[in-house]
Amino acid sequence: MGNKKYKGIEKKQARWGFIFVLPAMLFFSLFNFYPILNAFYTSFFDKRALSRRAPKFIGLGNYERLFRLSTAGNPLSFYNSLKATFIFTLGTFIPLLVMSLLLAVLVSYLKNGRVKKFLQISYYAPAVLSSVVAATIWMIIFDPRGLGNQWVNTLFNTPGVDHRWLVDPTMERLSTMVIYFWKYIGYFVILFITGLASIPPTLYEASLIDGANKNQTFWRITLPLLKPTVVLVSVMSMLQCLKTFSTQYMIYTNGAPRAAINVITFNIYVTGIQEQYLSRASAMSVVLFVLMMLLTLLQFRATKSENVDY
Amino acid sequence: MKKTLVVLLLISMLLPLSLFAAGTKEAKVDESKPVTIEYWTHEDLARTELENELIAQFMKENPNITVKRTTTSATKLIELVQTAFAANQGPDMFNLPIENEYAYITNGRVAPVDYKAAGYKDKNDLIAKYMDSVLDTVTYEGEVYGLPLELTNWSIYINKKVFRSAGLDPEKDYPKTWEEMADVSEKLVIRDGDILVRRGFDFRYPYYLTFFVPMVEQLGGDLLSADGKKAIIGDEAWIKALKFMQEWGPSGRNLGSPTYKNARLIFDLDNNDIAMAHTGLYQQGRIEKDNKAFFDSREWMVVPFPTFKDAVRDVAACYYGHFFMVNADSDPAVQKAAWKLAAFMLAHGEDYLTRGGNIIQPTKALFESDTLKNMPYSQVFIDDMARAHMVYYGEDSAQIQTQIRYAVESVMLSGVSPEKALATLRAGVQEIIDER
Repeated sequence: MGNKKYKGIEKKQARWGFIFVLPAMLFFSLFNFYPILNAFYTSFFDKRALSRRAPKFIGLGNYERLFRLSTAGNPLSFYNSLKATFIFTLGTFIPLLVMSLLLAVLVSYLKNGRVKKFLQISYYAPAVLSSVVAATIWMIIFDPRGLGNQWVNTLFNTPGVDHRWLVDPTMERLSTMVIYFWKYIGYFVILFITGLASIPPTLYEASLIDGANKNQTFWRITLPLLKPTVVLVSVMSMLQCLKTFSTQYMIYTNGAPRAAINVITFNIYVTGIQEQYLSRASAMSVVLFVLMMLLTLLQFRATKSENVDY
Repeated sequence: MKKTLVVLLLISMLLPLSLFAAGTKEAKVDESKPVTIEYWTHEDLARTELENELIAQFMKENPNITVKRTTTSATKLIELVQTAFAANQGPDMFNLPIENEYAYITNGRVAPVDYKAAGYKDKNDLIAKYMDSVLDTVTYEGEVYGLPLELTNWSIYINKKVFRSAGLDPEKDYPKTWEEMADVSEKLVIRDGDILVRRGFDFRYPYYLTFFVPMVEQLGGDLLSADGKKAIIGDEAWIKALKFMQEWGPSGRNLGSPTYKNARLIFDLDNNDIAMAHTGLYQQGRIEKDNKAFFDSREWMVVPFPTFKDAVRDVAACYYGHFFMVNADSDPAVQKAAWKLAAFMLAHGEDYLTRGGNIIQPTKALFESDTLKNMPYSQVFIDDMARAHMVYYGEDSAQIQTQIRYAVESVMLSGVSPEKALATLRAGVQEIIDER
């Protein structure tokens, strides 16, 4: 009898639970599931943005075209986009992960509350700036007559040298990485600070009594207990980097050459929006989706993430 | 419980599909009933002021028609209109550059001009009112699909003060050839090491179809063969033009680069940043607005688009047009009202020229008017237009421009040889036209 009553309450609670999550499920399916399924479906057709004709079914034609070996040498090919995406992701997400962890630890160790708050706000401020404002700031810096050349030339005493921030392919890649790093570091610092705050202070007290120094505390207590946050941040930052678009778009629209920064999302934009090949762009987005899934699974496997018990 | 969950998940996944399906239905509007025209256009403060005034007058004369005018930046508008049409939610009336608009005609997205609603007897009456061949661009399978809001070409603006500061006489020493353009720019340039503090001239990046293709044509090359099946004609001409751009860039004589600020925008400021800029008649209104003292000083002048010393053809920068077009999916009553509105606005060509952004509508009446003839340097633009042709406006023009951009910028900025850039360009453009 008691068991029956218990089940009834559980059912009732679950029903209300569903009612509460239903709007989110609808929203998610409308704006996430549908586009994913639609992109997957569209990738098997030859659909042009303005065409009224029923799209022709071409099977794996779009995928075959993306991976056609004869296009590998073309600097605007999908192969080059894969390369540009990997270079950007590796060059950005590893420094993001390491630096955000170090900065979070630094902020957490600070005793002065005001300095702590100031640093938190400073790190996070770029994340809330609009892309237009960020673009304006960085274009002022990267203009050949801008602050970038002035600072570097003053620092290294190299007057009049143009460091070709948006001209040389390597510098162009580096510029996109710097902008991205600047914009998102604060977000990940906040995540790490939250993770650090969840570590019970009694562990630190115990380590202090046992005579551990700060270095030992960090490597033996902080880092192992921060593992779930490290996994979360590494997965999130990697996915963010794989999806990067606005930084490359901003630099390109300000005159920089495309090949070095033609990441997959940017290629999707050019192919689907500018060139109107919706199906080809859909195939690219499916490849990116699969790539993101595989890399995320790989990361989970590699880190063997599980809950940490304190 | 599991069943409920599965049912709810299915509903949540299928509901959006049904919503999208329902979204494609369109309500029919009775012609006699009030209609609303959604008109999307690009930002231009002077034109907005004039068009708001004209629209108010139009609505007063046609109380059953409401016009909703929406503006956005010129670049963004191209994407917005296309995305809206792809979702069958395009505006009733819009304008874009012809190289972006042509695909709307060939894909049956826009309606032919309703001659009667626009106030013409028939097609011939409409064509007779415009300059020769201007409407050919928007004529497809015997019907005209657009009315020109503006026809624009670019000549060279010169800041006389900057010329004099370099010991040059602007009236005599202005560049007539591209070789002179580079030499004169060399004299005008001020550098701090590698960095250009003042440029002589710089190109209008990234509009390569408008200025670079005519430079190639001057040397005897062509973008496509006469039948449109073969890409990149006349290797020698292309390589010479690419070499010129390579020499222009930071790895050559270092006279300019796409990564510097847009020359046209800084010309108005008269800050000793630039001596020459490549732009249209409309720039006069912008100089007046941005820097009235400079405009009134008349320390600026306009000269023709140069040619190469050994040019085999006299070709000026291409002209391009923005055309009013009407959505073929709009209700017939809305279509009629839209053509009526377009014709009403275009009947005020002299207002557009003088206070609507200094834009030229290519009607015979305007070209014969004293208003156009009396605008400073208008004859330079008219003469350059006579030496020019319409920009390449095929369905694939955006793709082709991207390929040319890559070729030019790879030789200018990335150290790629003109021969290699040409081979990549040919392969890219040929693939585009083969896919048509």
